[in-house]
Amino acid sequence: MNAAESIAIALDAVRAQKLRSGLTLLSISIGVFAIIASTGITTALQNAVNMQMATLGEHSFLIQRTPTLTFGGSWRKYMRRKPITLEQARQFRDRMTLTNLISISNTNPSYVIKAGQTSTDPDVALIGADDLYFNVNAVNLSEGRPFSLHEGEQGGNVAILGNDVVVKLFPRGGAVGSTVTIRNQTFRVIGILEVRGGVMGQSQDNRVLIPMPIFDRYFTWEWDRSVDVSVKAASAEALPATVDEATGILRALRGVKPWEENTFELDTNDALTAQFSGFSVALLAVAWISGIGALVAAGIGIMNMMLVSVRERTREIGVRKALGARRAWIVRQFLIESVTLCQLGGMAGTAAGIGTSWAVTTLLRNTGMQTLVFDMPWGAVIFSVVICTAIGIGFGLYPAFRAASLDPIEALRYE
Amino acid sequence: MTSPTPIINIEHISKIYEMGDEKVYALRDVSLTISKGEYVALMGPSGSGKSTLMNMLGCLDTPTSGRYEFNGANVNELDDDELAEIRNREIGFVFQTFNLLPRATALSNVELPLVYSGMKADARHRRAAETLASVGLAERTGHKPNELSGGQRQRVAIARALVTQPSIILADEPTGNLDSKTGQEIMALFDELYRQGNTVILVTHEEDIARHARRIVRLRDGLIESDKSNGASA
Repeated sequence: MNAAESIAIALDAVRAQKLRSGLTLLSISIGVFAIIASTGITTALQNAVNMQMATLGEHSFLIQRTPTLTFGGSWRKYMRRKPITLEQARQFRDRMTLTNLISISNTNPSYVIKAGQTSTDPDVALIGADDLYFNVNAVNLSEGRPFSLHEGEQGGNVAILGNDVVVKLFPRGGAVGSTVTIRNQTFRVIGILEVRGGVMGQSQDNRVLIPMPIFDRYFTWEWDRSVDVSVKAASAEALPATVDEATGILRALRGVKPWEENTFELDTNDALTAQFSGFSVALLAVAWISGIGALVAAGIGIMNMMLVSVRERTREIGVRKALGARRAWIVRQFLIESVTLCQLGGMAGTAAGIGTSWAVTTLLRNTGMQTLVFDMPWGAVIFSVVICTAIGIGFGLYPAFRAASLDPIEALRYE
Repeated sequence: MTSPTPIINIEHISKIYEMGDEKVYALRDVSLTISKGEYVALMGPSGSGKSTLMNMLGCLDTPTSGRYEFNGANVNELDDDELAEIRNREIGFVFQTFNLLPRATALSNVELPLVYSGMKADARHRRAAETLASVGLAERTGHKPNELSGGQRQRVAIARALVTQPSIILADEPTGNLDSKTGQEIMALFDELYRQGNTVILVTHEEDIARHARRIVRLRDGLIESDKSNGASA
């Protein structure tokens, strides 16, 4: 009876002082929300990054002007870097000795592909690729042939279509051998990519490959001529040495002084993992610190509410003491009340946090990552229940002890 | 005048409040014995020490000097929790303003002292319901105080005082917030409780109320002015 009664009193207090208790509970909600949402979202992103790494291949790495994942970071620093030109990339390729599995490619989003009267949405990724692109990036064809050495190096009006584009433009089949138009240039379709699904929010099938020289000449913007270089080491053991060689050659080609840092990004799986964990640690730290800050602020609010509650119910405390309530009973009653208030705010924050994590995961999944699964952040939920209880008890103790040590005579006389 | 089993035995107690440099004597060297089954009225004007003596008798307060024995236990030596236990088991309080918990039903209000004494829930419900029935409120167990009349509220409060079967019932101006007709009904209830063998102590400034008791103790300026048996009682 008494616990239920204390909970009912806590709910009454919320109803009676809607604004004050609303704000206090809101700040608890915000704290819990920050903790749960950040944990949930980081988990979802971690899943996404893991998938990205899976597609990169175990002993491949990627050289780009800017990092694949830029979280916060110094975007300006990256933007000042000179592009990696096709010419530079080719020189790099020629100088590498530890592996010859090097592919130069580049990507631009948002092209319209036409076939006769039919056209795609303006969201097709156009990729300039060479003959080794398929081997190095583990891209397979379901039909037709890849680019030849000649096409990859010299160019040619040939194209390989992703499945989304094929479905859109050639619903009745017969894509290979037909022609498509991209920005007034006509290409002969020589192959179709194997269906891949999506990674990192983008369908891997809504794309068209054309030879790198054509791409570089006609489909690159002046401010973004930088190419991507994929390198596949001969083996996992050879990876570190290959990375070292590539770094040295590229620094020399780009005129990086010995005391300067790299003017390019070289992303291995490990580097991606490090980048990401740096990001998640930062996100989690900010969210948890601000969350706990909000919870402490809320705790002071709770203490204030409880002190008001003690004052308003001084007479009731006097009656209870007169009827034989020991100190422990009074303390217990007020602690139950303050923990109830905290849990009330905590539940709202937990619901909002889980909702947000779920929404972010769903968003990522709907934009391509079909295999992404929402992980219920149980650890964070349990943590929030525990911390709400701790705050309820911690900040409720002083008011509760004040109530328990009231003089029953004074309390009974209180108006 | 004293019967063989004293419940309350006060010897030379004083209560001094210090207000700044000044010492205020609320009680000066008061001695009083009350035995089992007595029906006593404590009377006196405000400032007479009547309330202080009542708080002392109710184990809500301890004397500055002197000795207070309740049922053989020395109250002076008890700490807060032990005093709470005596109040819970031995004393039934009835207040002028009823002092019921507004959110709780009549039954829950009556159960409250039993909660503090650690009685199990079903035994508690049964005892509380029986006690409410004994003050004529069998039909009102589920009502909250604001759904009851003043007289009914005071009956709930009396049931709450009775439910632990205490050694004394201590009523502070129990009719002060009631009209005179309802007040008479409540006094009839106290008379009945006395006839059933309960020890009843009334604190009042009204002669009409005090007249119900068998013994009237009058206080003035912290001293007992008179202590007489009341021949003309109900």
